[in-house]
Amino acid sequence: MNRKRSFVSLLLASSFVVLAVSGILAFLLPFSIQIVGLHALMGFLFVAVIVFHIANNYGHLSRYSRSRILVATLGITLVSTLLFFWQPEPVKKVLGLSRNLGPAQDRFEMVEEGLVYRYSPAPHYKMALTVRAGKSFASEAPPHVAIWLENASFYHIKTLRAPENEGEGRAALPYWDFKLRGWEKAREEAEEAGKSLQEKMEEADLDAVSGATQNSSFDPADYILPADPDNPMPYRLVLEIDSPDDDLPSLVYAVEVDNADPRAFQLLELVGYPAREEEDEEGKETWALYYVDYSDEKFAPVLELVDSALLQIDRETRGE
Amino acid sequence: MNPQEEATDRRKFLQTGLAGTAGIGLAAASTTSVAIADEEKASISPEETNEVDVLVVGGGTAGHVAAIQAARAGAKTLLVERNSQLGGTTTTGGVAFPGLFDAWGRQVIAGIGWELVKESVELDGGTLPDFAKVPQRHWQNQVYTNQFLYAILAEEKCAEAGVQIAFYEFPQAIKKTDEGWEVDCVGFGTNRRVRCKQVIDCTGGAEVVGMAGFSRLREEERQPGSYLFMMGKEHQPGRNQIHRLYVHGADSTNSRTATQANLTGRKTILAKVRKEKKRLMHLQPETGFRESYRIEGETLITVNDYTSGRLFEDAISYAFYPVDLHTKTGVKPKPLKRGVVPTIPLGALIPKDSRDIIVAGRCLSSDRLANSGLRVQASCMGMGQAAGVAAALAAKAGSTPMEVPLAEIHALLKEHGQIIPGQA
Ligand SMILES: Cc1cc2nc3c(=O)[nH]c(=O)nc-3n(C[C@H](O)[C@H](O)[C@H](O)COP(=O)(O)OP(=O)(O)OC[C@H]3O[C@@H](n4cnc5c(N)ncnc54)[C@H](O)[C@@H]3O)c2cc1C
Repeated sequence: MNRKRSFVSLLLASSFVVLAVSGILAFLLPFSIQIVGLHALMGFLFVAVIVFHIANNYGHLSRYSRSRILVATLGITLVSTLLFFWQPEPVKKVLGLSRNLGPAQDRFEMVEEGLVYRYSPAPHYKMALTVRAGKSFASEAPPHVAIWLENASFYHIKTLRAPENEGEGRAALPYWDFKLRGWEKAREEAEEAGKSLQEKMEEADLDAVSGATQNSSFDPADYILPADPDNPMPYRLVLEIDSPDDDLPSLVYAVEVDNADPRAFQLLELVGYPAREEEDEEGKETWALYYVDYSDEKFAPVLELVDSALLQIDRETRGE
Repeated sequence: MNPQEEATDRRKFLQTGLAGTAGIGLAAASTTSVAIADEEKASISPEETNEVDVLVVGGGTAGHVAAIQAARAGAKTLLVERNSQLGGTTTTGGVAFPGLFDAWGRQVIAGIGWELVKESVELDGGTLPDFAKVPQRHWQNQVYTNQFLYAILAEEKCAEAGVQIAFYEFPQAIKKTDEGWEVDCVGFGTNRRVRCKQVIDCTGGAEVVGMAGFSRLREEERQPGSYLFMMGKEHQPGRNQIHRLYVHGADSTNSRTATQANLTGRKTILAKVRKEKKRLMHLQPETGFRESYRIEGETLITVNDYTSGRLFEDAISYAFYPVDLHTKTGVKPKPLKRGVVPTIPLGALIPKDSRDIIVAGRCLSSDRLANSGLRVQASCMGMGQAAGVAAALAAKAGSTPMEVPLAEIHALLKEHGQIIPGQA
């Protein structure tokens, strides 16, 4: 009897640890079928073990349920359920800290022909980025790749795909690393100053020359799936790629996506290669992109890494 | 005599002639103060008559470049400007950030405009953009220029080339002659008759072309103008951005409409000062006008020509900027596709069925959307230089700009540092 009890209790505790850790990771990290799968399946095991646990502790439980504590616990559970389900602004803010875009279908595959990245943040919206391998693409030593979204003011808003090996990847893909760090820092500063990220960015963006740009949100969903069709926010999908084991710079490709002018197929264009700028007066590190000189032989191998990169977006138009 | 020598000769003449007998000269007494020459000597006959090869009307963004080029090419050149300094929208309007000289990583417009911009930035200790760098926004490669320094430098370049400048004057009547034109100009205390072989109209709104009776185009509703100023913080010419407000309905067509635009702009700024309780630190003397008349030319540049980067057979300059139409609600620039660099044909600078007259600047023959991209300053400077070359060559040959062999125009432009479309 005692052995059975302790077996159940220990199993419950250990599965709970996995459940808790995978739950936190699922919240913090970009969507990963491994983590979410682990969390869900471990959850089922946990539920199964709970049944035995309740059976083992029925006596205690029924005593508790006669006390007034039951009312309080049920109350708390009910309120939390309602809050978490309806998600008012403060709850949304907390959820906003997650890098997991919820039930997004986000998949990255290295295939013979190159790589494919699929992303479907909603059932009616399917994005696929197909990067066709060029002559110098070696699948046995695959390139470092980062894919991210930037708003019209060129601020990083969401990394869709971080390089496999983050440490090496950050070094190999300095432009993505620079953008990501800028975003992380802005977020920190905004939190300290008690400002929304949006306010913070508007402050920094003194686009005084040619009218305002649309950049008023840091929530990727606002760009990808704008709630207000009259106010679509154009964004850029950016890809940085670098072949390992060479001294050549990485290359940055990008395409602008404008839901006001929806296109099913768009080719990414080569923007340039990143180079670190001299520090400005405030000692701020900046990276800029430079035009690739096609006649310069040294670029040939990097240019041959990618044959082409096609962005495909299926927006299932719902019936009028 | 080669053009340079001829220019030097004329320069000598100007230095002695003007400072001495004609008496326009201002004597520099020391580096900190200047004195105006004797009143008697300074007075000019109200009935001036000039015989010149090329008359440039309007010394704005395109005009001063056209005049310098014509004079450097050996033409006797007179520049008539209704305001008190050179540079037009770049200086008087305060839009002192000319663009764009580069496209897709290489310089596409150079020549006299670039020479001036570069020299003024260097003299001012400013920074030139790095054309190898991909700009995040199109305007990042515009060159922050000190408007005051630029205007004086342009005067110096005119003097060196031998351009005669007449400020505060504008044409009142124009008559075709066998040799070219007879243009009557007025200024305060001045009536000037100019007999010239060629006219370059750089007034922004093709005022001379209109006066001569050639067809012009104009939209019912024009892009707003902008009044430039600085409030609440110091204006650092050649360094920082400047405040601006839209002046809707601003129209540079005549003194009445321009007066109206200035009064409206300044009244609004005054109200802003009162409301925001900030100091007014800088104010341009005039509204910047985006759009008025354009000519109907031998060739009309359409927005498709522009956005496809059509290489015209008679292309004389590149142009580069997004399609940039300002409306009541602002502007959303439409960038050009990667690799596209539009070109400007000579035909777009020549009023249809005209002889001996050419334009340069924002009034070139183009549809409205193409014009919204073509009107920028580096492009205007490119046009100015080409018009200067074409007019000088036509004056020399006794022909008209459209009849000057294109190869000669290209060769002379190249000689004076300009980049020719389609030629590496
Ligand atoms: C607010 C604003 C912002 C702009 N932003 C940019 C920018 O960021 N970058 C850029 O490159 N371009 C910009 N542009 C466009 C560009 O500045 C102008 O299109 C360009 O300067 C026009 O040059 P222009 O030589 O045709 O005319 P102007 O520079 O206007 O010159 C016309 C000259 O002719 C004179 N004139 C007019 N009529 C007569 C007459 N009858 N007789 C004698 N003289 C006369 C005027 O006094 C003036 O000096 C902007 C323009 C405006 C107004």
